[in-house]
Amino acid sequence: MSKFLKAFLFVSLVFVPFAASAVTVASWGGAYTESQQKAYADTYSDPSSIVFENYNGGLGEVRAQVESGSVTWDIVDVLPSDAITGCDEGLFEDISSEIAELSTPGPDGESMLEDMENNGLEYHSGWDCCVPQIFWTYVVFYDPDAFPGEKPDSMADFFDTEKFPGKRGIHTWATGVIEKAMVADGVSPNAVPTVLANQTGAIDRAFEVMDRIKDDVVFWSAGSQPLELVKSGEVIMAIAYNGRVGAANLAEGENFEYIWEGQVLDQEYLCLTAGAPNRDAAIDFMMHASTPEAQAEQAKYITYGPMRASGIPIIENNEPWGPGGVDIMPHMPNTPERLKVSIVSDPQWWSDYGAEINERYAAWMGN
Amino acid sequence: MEVTISTAELLTTDGIPLKQSLRKAERRNKLRAFLLVFPLLLFIIVTFVMPIGDMLLRSVDDSQINSVFPNTFEEYKNWDKGADELPPEEVYKSLFFELANGDKRQIGKALTRMNYAKSGWKSLIKKTSREIKKIVKKGEEPVSYKDTFIKINKFWGDPTYWYSFNQMVNDRSSIYYWNALDRTFDEDGDVVLQDEKRRMYIKTWLRTFKVSVYVTIFCLILGFPVAHLLANLPLRYSNLLMIFVLLPFWTSLLVRTTAWIVMLQQNGVINGILVWLGVISDDGRIQMVYNEAGTLIAMTQILLPFMILPLYSVMRVIPKSHMRAAQNLGAKPAMAFWRVYLPQTIPGISAGGLLVFVLAIGYFITPELVGGKDGKLIGSWIAYHLKTTLNWGLCAALGGILLGIMLIFYWLYNKIVGIDNIKLG
Repeated sequence: MSKFLKAFLFVSLVFVPFAASAVTVASWGGAYTESQQKAYADTYSDPSSIVFENYNGGLGEVRAQVESGSVTWDIVDVLPSDAITGCDEGLFEDISSEIAELSTPGPDGESMLEDMENNGLEYHSGWDCCVPQIFWTYVVFYDPDAFPGEKPDSMADFFDTEKFPGKRGIHTWATGVIEKAMVADGVSPNAVPTVLANQTGAIDRAFEVMDRIKDDVVFWSAGSQPLELVKSGEVIMAIAYNGRVGAANLAEGENFEYIWEGQVLDQEYLCLTAGAPNRDAAIDFMMHASTPEAQAEQAKYITYGPMRASGIPIIENNEPWGPGGVDIMPHMPNTPERLKVSIVSDPQWWSDYGAEINERYAAWMGN
Repeated sequence: MEVTISTAELLTTDGIPLKQSLRKAERRNKLRAFLLVFPLLLFIIVTFVMPIGDMLLRSVDDSQINSVFPNTFEEYKNWDKGADELPPEEVYKSLFFELANGDKRQIGKALTRMNYAKSGWKSLIKKTSREIKKIVKKGEEPVSYKDTFIKINKFWGDPTYWYSFNQMVNDRSSIYYWNALDRTFDEDGDVVLQDEKRRMYIKTWLRTFKVSVYVTIFCLILGFPVAHLLANLPLRYSNLLMIFVLLPFWTSLLVRTTAWIVMLQQNGVINGILVWLGVISDDGRIQMVYNEAGTLIAMTQILLPFMILPLYSVMRVIPKSHMRAAQNLGAKPAMAFWRVYLPQTIPGISAGGLLVFVLAIGYFITPELVGGKDGKLIGSWIAYHLKTTLNWGLCAALGGILLGIMLIFYWLYNKIVGIDNIKLG
């Protein structure tokens, strides 16, 4: 055996066990993962034991790992509809008893799940396998300089091209757009999920509202695009992920305004992969990452809101919370008064009807 | 006259018949050759044949759900839809027990599958399962399983949910292929068009096809003169020019795509120049990106090197004397080009055209970013179903059709041009 080969084997034998003992967290990358690194990993008892890996969302890779039996991700950061499907299909492990036992209660002794319900959330089966992270939202924003006179401040304005002529930036899939259109049609934001689930023809109504602006839409597909579109004047307002708008305002000196009415709140969860190689260490980290303190900490680095209601007062009472003495509350999507005009997206409904509606949305776009 | 052939065998020096000895040597050579290519063969089988085989299997496989609800599906086949509005009691009863006793994860997987057949199955089954487990726990035995189901949720009295079983009751099914072509099964299991509002696959297929053909043609039109220039310039100039072809080729796909957005958008460089020149008015800025035009332009530029490089390597070895000879013999330049030069470039055109077309038809990132409202290709949908809906059967069917189209093209190409007429250098 050559010396080189021996050395190689030696190195791999020595280092592989170490590499395997780190908890691997698959997340979305970019500024988001950076904020997780700072808020969750760096504040953890053993920061070096947490390794983040980037992925593009969805359950495709998780399913491939679990089906083939070679699981390398201990924890996956997923959307709620994926949390539900993953938990139902057994791609994620049911840790509801661990969550009940080990999660940190809120300041008034409420359990973690109660703390989440205080934020307007409802139990779904994803809660059995996953712990909460943050709220992010589809929010409409604009550059106030582009509106010398009256400024838009509602969904009705967003869908009214006569009152505010100009192009709008909208994403190429249906989630969030449908709900906003319902609000523009006069449905109270909080009632939108119920109306969508129970009223036949509600979807048709949403598409009719969307028809009003269809000729004035620029469709985007990557999170950075709506910012570019508004900055370059390509569109006068756009739907974007609120974290992107917050970063532009806080770090790049932009002065974008949000239209909080009709914002569509979506969530992020950390879920335990079935057959995770470092199961116990992973659960310990998940419990740390779901404390109200850790969630409030994340808001320092990206303007996504803590999913536990008790995280909000921590930010509010300690302003300026952001680095460099900036106030974070103006950018938090889930303050009590903003929740009143928001839609909390219903992941169960979307995992039921998402495919069909997205096909219809694509047909609508292309026509 | 008869020829006599000696029947005595020829022997080698060590007494073995020559034939046998030769055969042995040949066998050894063959074995050695085989061992040399064996790693490659193994590699191809593992990374190419097996995944494609697996994909094609998945596109017709529906066995998972059939292993979860075998009795229900068996009873379902006895339902006379003409006579009864709802399935017979036995169907409800079998489903009751299969939900009550089934493995939670297997049911979870099955209901992801059921939801493809009809949206809403997921919640319906989950809610019903919970209720059924309660009933079983209490030890009650329902008098009528049908009424119990309908009492749990009124949708169990809605025959359209039951009709969707038609898409799942067989272990092997063609439903995914039909779905990929905007079609589905009706209550009798006949193929019918999908609901009009959600028909988009056929349209996307045609668009994918159209864009790929256009991109190939544009690449040929733009690439041919460039390749010709490169092939005929003195080496030091052509090397310099070659860098202009290769540099974009080596640049990240995302960078080039984003650059095109900057160039083409309504407040972008090209529109700006046109307005400045007075060609178009400020209100009349042209929408060149976030639509099909954007996809065409960006993809043509990105795939151009795949046309230029094979063309160049073929053109470089065409002797210049051929054109001179043709002209000496009286052909006008155009005629000489058409009759002498062009035919010799066919192998390059074929190679480049096939390369560009194959790459274009499965393209994903660029159309996704610049495609906007009507510039997305079928690759986007494969990615969507792979990641988001987990409908791998439909993914596989879409991929299978893509593969089929390629094979048809390959066959056509072979008929018309001949596959041995392809050359990369």
